Amino acid sequence: MRLFTAVTALCGLLLPSSVVCADERVAAISEFNPPQVFKNTNLVRHTNLEKGYVRETVNVVVENVGKQPQSDYYLPFSSDVFDKVGSLEVRDKKAVEKGRFNVEAVELDFRSDLEYFVIHFPEPLAPKSQITLGISYTLLNSLNPRPATIEQSDRQFLSYSFSGFTISAYPTVTQKTKLKFPSTKVPDFTVTEGLKTSSGSDPERQGATFTYGPYDTSKVAPGTTYPITVRYEFTNPIITASLLERDLEVSHWGGNLATEERYWLRNNGSELTSQFSRVEWTISSYQNLPSSALRELKYPLKAGSVDPYFIDDVGNVSTSRYRPGKPNRDAHLELRFRYPIFGGWNYSFRIGWNNDLASFLRRAVTGADSYVLKVPFIEGPKAPEGAQYENVVVRLILPEGSRNVKYELVEGSASNGLPGPNQIRSHLSDYKTYMDTLGRTVLTLEAENLSDEARDSQLVVTYDYTLLDGLRKPFTITAGLLAVFAAAWFIGNIDVSIRKR
Amino acid sequence: MADAPVDALLKGSSGKNTRGLLRTIILFTIAAAAVSSRLFSVIRFESIIHEFDPWFNFRATKYLVENGFHSFWDWFDDRTWHPLGRVTGGTLYPGLMVTSGAIYHFLRFLTLPVDIRNICVLLAPAFSGLTAFAMYLLTNEMSPSPSAGLLAAAFMGIVPGYISRSVAGSYDNEAIAIFLLVFTFFLWIRAVKNGSIMYGALTALSYGYMVSAWGGYVFITNLIPLHIFVLLCMGRYSTRLYISYTTWYALGTLASMQIPFVGFLPIRNSDHMSAFGIFGLLQLVAFAEFIRGYVPTKQFQKLLTSMIIITVAVGFIGLSLLSISGVIAPWSGRFYSLWDTSYAKIHIPIIASVSEHQPTAWPAFFFDLNFLIWLFPAGVYICFRDLKDEHVFVVIYGVLASYFAGVMVRLMLTLTPIVCVAAALALSHIIDTYVTISPKQAQAKSTESSSESLRSSRSPVVGIYSYASKAIVTSSVVIYLLLFVAHCTWVTSNAYSSPSVVLASRLPDGSQFLIDDYREAYYWLRQNTPQNAKIASWWDYGYQIGGMADRPTLVDNNTWNNTHIATVGKAMSSPEEVSYPILRQHDVDYVLVVFGGLLGYSGDDLNKFLWMVRIAEGIWPDEVKERDFFTSRGEYRVDDQATPTMRNSLMYKMSYYNYNSLFQQGQAIDRVRGVRLPAEGPQLSTMEEAFTSENWIIRIYKVKDLDNFDRDHMSAAAFDRGQKRKRASKRRGPRVLRTE
Repeated sequence: MRLFTAVTALCGLLLPSSVVCADERVAAISEFNPPQVFKNTNLVRHTNLEKGYVRETVNVVVENVGKQPQSDYYLPFSSDVFDKVGSLEVRDKKAVEKGRFNVEAVELDFRSDLEYFVIHFPEPLAPKSQITLGISYTLLNSLNPRPATIEQSDRQFLSYSFSGFTISAYPTVTQKTKLKFPSTKVPDFTVTEGLKTSSGSDPERQGATFTYGPYDTSKVAPGTTYPITVRYEFTNPIITASLLERDLEVSHWGGNLATEERYWLRNNGSELTSQFSRVEWTISSYQNLPSSALRELKYPLKAGSVDPYFIDDVGNVSTSRYRPGKPNRDAHLELRFRYPIFGGWNYSFRIGWNNDLASFLRRAVTGADSYVLKVPFIEGPKAPEGAQYENVVVRLILPEGSRNVKYELVEGSASNGLPGPNQIRSHLSDYKTYMDTLGRTVLTLEAENLSDEARDSQLVVTYDYTLLDGLRKPFTITAGLLAVFAAAWFIGNIDVSIRKR
Repeated sequence: MADAPVDALLKGSSGKNTRGLLRTIILFTIAAAAVSSRLFSVIRFESIIHEFDPWFNFRATKYLVENGFHSFWDWFDDRTWHPLGRVTGGTLYPGLMVTSGAIYHFLRFLTLPVDIRNICVLLAPAFSGLTAFAMYLLTNEMSPSPSAGLLAAAFMGIVPGYISRSVAGSYDNEAIAIFLLVFTFFLWIRAVKNGSIMYGALTALSYGYMVSAWGGYVFITNLIPLHIFVLLCMGRYSTRLYISYTTWYALGTLASMQIPFVGFLPIRNSDHMSAFGIFGLLQLVAFAEFIRGYVPTKQFQKLLTSMIIITVAVGFIGLSLLSISGVIAPWSGRFYSLWDTSYAKIHIPIIASVSEHQPTAWPAFFFDLNFLIWLFPAGVYICFRDLKDEHVFVVIYGVLASYFAGVMVRLMLTLTPIVCVAAALALSHIIDTYVTISPKQAQAKSTESSSESLRSSRSPVVGIYSYASKAIVTSSVVIYLLLFVAHCTWVTSNAYSSPSVVLASRLPDGSQFLIDDYREAYYWLRQNTPQNAKIASWWDYGYQIGGMADRPTLVDNNTWNNTHIATVGKAMSSPEEVSYPILRQHDVDYVLVVFGGLLGYSGDDLNKFLWMVRIAEGIWPDEVKERDFFTSRGEYRVDDQATPTMRNSLMYKMSYYNYNSLFQQGQAIDRVRGVRLPAEGPQLSTMEEAFTSENWIIRIYKVKDLDNFDRDHMSAAAFDRGQKRKRASKRRGPRVLRTE
């Protein structure tokens, strides 16, 4: 496991350790063409359309055809999807346990059809040698409901357009694309002619899986596209949060970890052609028909979560329920919204709960006054149709006087659903509340384009917090009260009467 | 005597301290009881603003907190009364909002992040604790008995007549105004008793605060002069009166004129003239008193008579001239309705349509005051036994407030404090008589007075001295008090603790089931309509839409423009052809109606519909006629016997549109009015249903845009239904749909 830490104590600097050339900004070039030093010998792309966003995994065998050892592999996206790419992660497919490669966006200062990420190999690839890259990412807001408006009881269809030839900066010898649909109902899809190397129909259907290819594209120039569109049934809502704000507040005195999340939710599915009809909705929910409207979300909470609430701008949402669950089993917060959320409708709300701090916090081995906190980075509702988050702001509010704050996002051998550490912005600030004098230390982490795959990602934070810091508040309050008493005594003793003495 | 340690605590200087401590503890307990008995709704539901007016106050407070005091003072609100807008900063009593804002900023200063909503919700209970304390002070001025003040404080803390306007969430002007009312009276009594300039000035300050908080300040403006006037008539003029009144009037009037909404009313409005007149009268009386010292009696009599005649004549002529020329504003409609209860019904339907302006029903007195209402006359009688200046005040206040409480339901609130004072006086008198006077003292007294009396003339211990009578009286008092507490708790819990935004009902298994349709619909509006979509609804819901849905409204509970309200009433009570141009002209995007037919919710718009008709008829008597909504037999019906005018009215159509598709053919039932509806539901062509809440309480309709092919909506809808176009299109009628 590689350790990315941000030493952010007082200066608030981001200093990634053990990262090769991480802070080197890639210079913007007026006309950018990556050096042609690689060749993709074989490329297999898996596109998963089962959720409300696109999940793609590209496995590509890369060969260095240059003379020098190379370590920078350029990954292009067309500029209209570039901003929708999230959770980009690249690993060596042969050695996944070695962790993710460092990836960063190339900043171009001119408009271009393609924009690039650059993947830095941890050790340069020698000429003629090969490496298998596993590139995985999500594409948010890339599924378009077609037809764009439907009747309330109609079924919803989504269309997805992509290029049959995977866009790459380098020539690709063979490639194919596998599509996984939520169901077998795929009424419209592009059929190619004379592209496939082997015989048979293209695409090849197998249940809910389509395969385009394999194609021999060694003669095709890099960047050539072949548009393919598929349209498939998707009866679930497309849950999109334009913003998720998540506050985690640590209290040593109360032994409590308070979580509050604020969602700005939207259903990106088909909008209603005519207006909402309550009669139809009553009938369809009575018959339990599938609907593209979001009626309810299930939010699993850790066992032992207490005091949950679900409120919006006008107060408590009385239709929700909390099932505390059995000991050591997850509790469930059932968020039933005030009204069903149809395509294009919004709902912003706030939920929160408390946990016992002991299961998240322990003293560090290194020092007596040093603590290690391990909390989920995001949690979010669990739904089969998935959820996408355009912007996520996580604020970790540490006790007053915490110093030396370092954080790290836990990585395993599989993807944690988060982008690389340098795609997450972080800063430290102060936050004054509940009779604070100095203000609490707040670590803010911001990320874009996340999906519910990041649900189980963990955030580890270490900080120093001495006993004296803990006693600051009682001292302050005592001193304040004493000052009030003293003032009252003093004022009471002043004789302001105008009578003669 | 018996217990030495107790005696040590209760006698001498340490006894004084002990009693003081005990009194403080009791007062704190009373305040705690007052606060906690108002928290039923928070515990049962949630921390939420109740009813209608509080939503405006809450919205104004949020505006104050967000934009600062100066922009609040100059606030022009273009999100209400579209397209007129409202000069909100100049047409409200800012005291309530400024108080909450000050508390909010104070807590922020202590870095306590208390939400402004929670401050607003809990303001009324917090101030009720202060009211109890002010009541203690006021009653202490009336009676030498230490128990009277504590009893009055306890009564005030839990009496339903006050709780009805001060439960948690009832964030209205009365929340702080009753405290200020009582406190101002306390300071006034102090000022009159001592002839103190300081207390007079404090009264004026407290009065100024009261003016900033509630329109009911006029009650004080008239009661204090009346107190002075009665005292003068009783020949009780003294420099004390002169000092306290002139100080209060001069400073108080200046203070009240600082509020933009009040402005120059204190010198122009008839409601304030009595205070001004008494001020003048008091100068004359003082002058007369001054002259009396220098002039022989006989000449003084002559001088006085001529002076009185001249003054009265000049005053009367001047007043009537000013009234006729309009410098002094005429009496307001609400004032007239105080004297003639049927005045409003005939002349101002908008005042009569408010339930709290109705005359009080007799049981309401017992409901709101319980056994205090029959202790009240006894208390007033006790005041007569020892008729000092302050007792005169109690008598006047009692008489006036009883009358007003009988005229208007909401004025029960002003009666409550004086009932508590009087009842506490009476009850403390009883308790003191029966509990503290011991027979030995009485006997000692009698032996002192007639030491030579015969043994046979010494009566046995009877009457109030006997233990039996003491036991009976005290135990019955205790029982009454216990019953009072039980009654208050019951009334508070059952009658006054419903937020009315959320409706509670019980499921068969006894668990609570919340009907949350209002918030469902308002939140839908807030989230899924454009920020500036104009919502038309009856004025009752204006404040709630402004507060919860955050959308501009046409009319709201401020009811300052009767014509605008009548316009909405006309749109609701006219056929679609007439309503559509009205709605288009007012930029209306959505129309919201409340319909209780599915659930049996009786407070819906169809039950209020006749008020809309009446108010509209007041402005357009030729176009809207109340008679047309009644059947030939004079019945108000919505079923298949309903009149054509009723069935064609927009309100009827919007209420029942699509309703029968929820039932089997011909089985549609309106559960509020208990009737079966016509098999064929109404057709709407100029609007479309946009949202209906879960239990159909709120129905929102979108006003259609103009037709793409320039047809009128009727023929467009007919075309969509596949009907043949009628040949009647050539007919030139008054029905005009296009607005542009």
